[in-house]
Amino acid sequence: MIAAQYFDGMTAAAQVVTLTLDGEWLQLRGEVLAHEWPLRDVKVSERLGDTPRRIEFSDGSHCEVTDHAALDVLLKQGGYRSSWLDGMQHSMRWALLSAVFIVLIFAAAYRYLLPLGAEVVAQSIPPKMLQKMGASSLQTLDKLMLEPSKLAPERQQALRAAYARLAALPDAQLAYRIEFRSAPQIGPNAFALPDGNIVMLDELVVLTQDDDEILAVLAHERGHVEQRHALRMVLQSSAVGLAMTWYMGDVSSLLATVPAMLVQASYSRDMEREADEYAARTLQLNAKSPCLLPDILQKLEAAHAKRQAEARKENGGSVMDYLASHPATQERSALLCPAH
Amino acid sequence: MQSQQEHAFEFTGKGWEYFRIWIVNLLLSILTLGIYSAWAKVRRLQYFYRNTRLAGAGFEYHGTPIAILKGRIIAFVLLLAYTIAGQTNPLMAILIFVLLAGVMPWLIVRSLRFKLYNSSYRGLRFGFAGSDGAAYAVFLLFPILTVLTLYLLAPFTHYKIKQYQHNNSRFGDTFFRFDATSGNFYGIYLKALGLLVLAGVFFGISAALHMPVLMLVLPLFYLYIAGFLSVRLPNLIWDKTGLGEHDLYSRMEVGKYLWIAFTNLLGIVFTLGLYIPFAQIRMSRYKFSCMGLLAQGDLAEFVAGQAQSDSATGEETAEMFDLDISL
Repeated sequence: MIAAQYFDGMTAAAQVVTLTLDGEWLQLRGEVLAHEWPLRDVKVSERLGDTPRRIEFSDGSHCEVTDHAALDVLLKQGGYRSSWLDGMQHSMRWALLSAVFIVLIFAAAYRYLLPLGAEVVAQSIPPKMLQKMGASSLQTLDKLMLEPSKLAPERQQALRAAYARLAALPDAQLAYRIEFRSAPQIGPNAFALPDGNIVMLDELVVLTQDDDEILAVLAHERGHVEQRHALRMVLQSSAVGLAMTWYMGDVSSLLATVPAMLVQASYSRDMEREADEYAARTLQLNAKSPCLLPDILQKLEAAHAKRQAEARKENGGSVMDYLASHPATQERSALLCPAH
Repeated sequence: MQSQQEHAFEFTGKGWEYFRIWIVNLLLSILTLGIYSAWAKVRRLQYFYRNTRLAGAGFEYHGTPIAILKGRIIAFVLLLAYTIAGQTNPLMAILIFVLLAGVMPWLIVRSLRFKLYNSSYRGLRFGFAGSDGAAYAVFLLFPILTVLTLYLLAPFTHYKIKQYQHNNSRFGDTFFRFDATSGNFYGIYLKALGLLVLAGVFFGISAALHMPVLMLVLPLFYLYIAGFLSVRLPNLIWDKTGLGEHDLYSRMEVGKYLWIAFTNLLGIVFTLGLYIPFAQIRMSRYKFSCMGLLAQGDLAEFVAGQAQSDSATGEETAEMFDLDISL
């Protein structure tokens, strides 16, 4: 016998009743009430914590029961089966398991879905926007860390001409130009702006006598631009920014973060490999050896190691390292020109 | 004059108990790409309604997941249409925006009807009888006028919205009433504005004195203003709301509210969101502990005399759906 409160659904008055099970019939008895219902026509609300359970009858009246244990016994006797969710919603083990699952799902989304989304969004940014981003990035960099190039104008012109002669791969989407700058505190480096312009630092140009090696670096940077690596990294770094860019079509919020991204250039190893491969294909197209890139990379590595050693000697600090994120130079060299 | 009886609301939800329900339903919602969230919402509302108790009885939520799913699909389609149109053709976007603004009041009325019809206390349903015409004035005309008057009309519009909502709500066959004046709303909004001006003056002084440290206090100012509005407005609205001859009240305090809101935020941040169910329970417990009903005479007698309203027929509700619009 279960104590319950009965509401007739017509007025708000509550009546105290008792419930008993007689075969397949649920008997309801109160001071002035006597009803019986087949148990299968009765709707019993699912368990929800300690909240009262409702037993709804077909005429719109209902009972509220707070004695959970007694009701469970009665329902079991009547062959009433609770939903599969009932146990899960009330067990601590399932709660913890769910928490673990949810964390795993978010981690997987972060690892796999975010880069995928970043790639799709980065590829769909219109060229006009890329130009704007490139121009504003260069402006910021000029203000903060770049100085005018000290290279002779003839040397600049020669390199520009050589670069102009470098045939682009058929799927290339952007026009390319070189911007010569100097940045003693960065060291030998080159980086690609989102619009296809490539900033070439004097410190890198003086590192080699072979213009083809410089072309190899340019081809590598071109790979980064064509595959939108910088933009992908920026988009990946913030899921919120990615969602905003995707939904609003607004890239202006990204503008501020691009310059820092370009200089730090912490591309993933996969991205470096993609850019390397792009450079190798470009060099082959122009009948040049793919080994040019490893050659200049080794020189870069040596120059940076030297700079770092000097910096450490001077003030214990470290300089920004062009090669920090690059796969080991030897490994890349082996991939690019096995005969080397 | 009959004697007044005070009946306080009580919220009996428990953090850990709700956490278990919440997290299992969250997992299912994620795994079904959001579809199951309609079922999760029904459970959440049922849990909160049933744990909200007044004079020995709890409330009940009757909405069905399918109706909620319908509403979500409608909202999703509207948003999608607006987004796609906005990206392809600006003229089309304006057209869709006007169209959306045009149907919004109609949708809000359906949503309010759904929400109230699907709420009950002691087996009697609530109901909403607001007309579409009045809804267009309150949800479209006044907001437009508000923007045109540079928000001078904002407190008045807020007042009209609440008046429309509460005057048209009923429990059984007894209507609620809303006795506030637009002056009450202007009073609170002006005080908040005063605090904002004070914050500006403070900012000016700290800038003039070259003491940027003082500016660190500024966020606290804004926090206080936000808390002030989230406490004083509901207090006013419920204090001036009655059911038949009975009065409701709400006596939240800004300090206590802010403390709970702030510690809730910290909890949520430091547990990566796992504290959310606990935070919701805590806030509900506080809000309802400050609310109650002042009954003229015997509440039990009044309640027993309440009858289901005739207009709450099934036909009217069959086509209904819920939209997640919180007002």
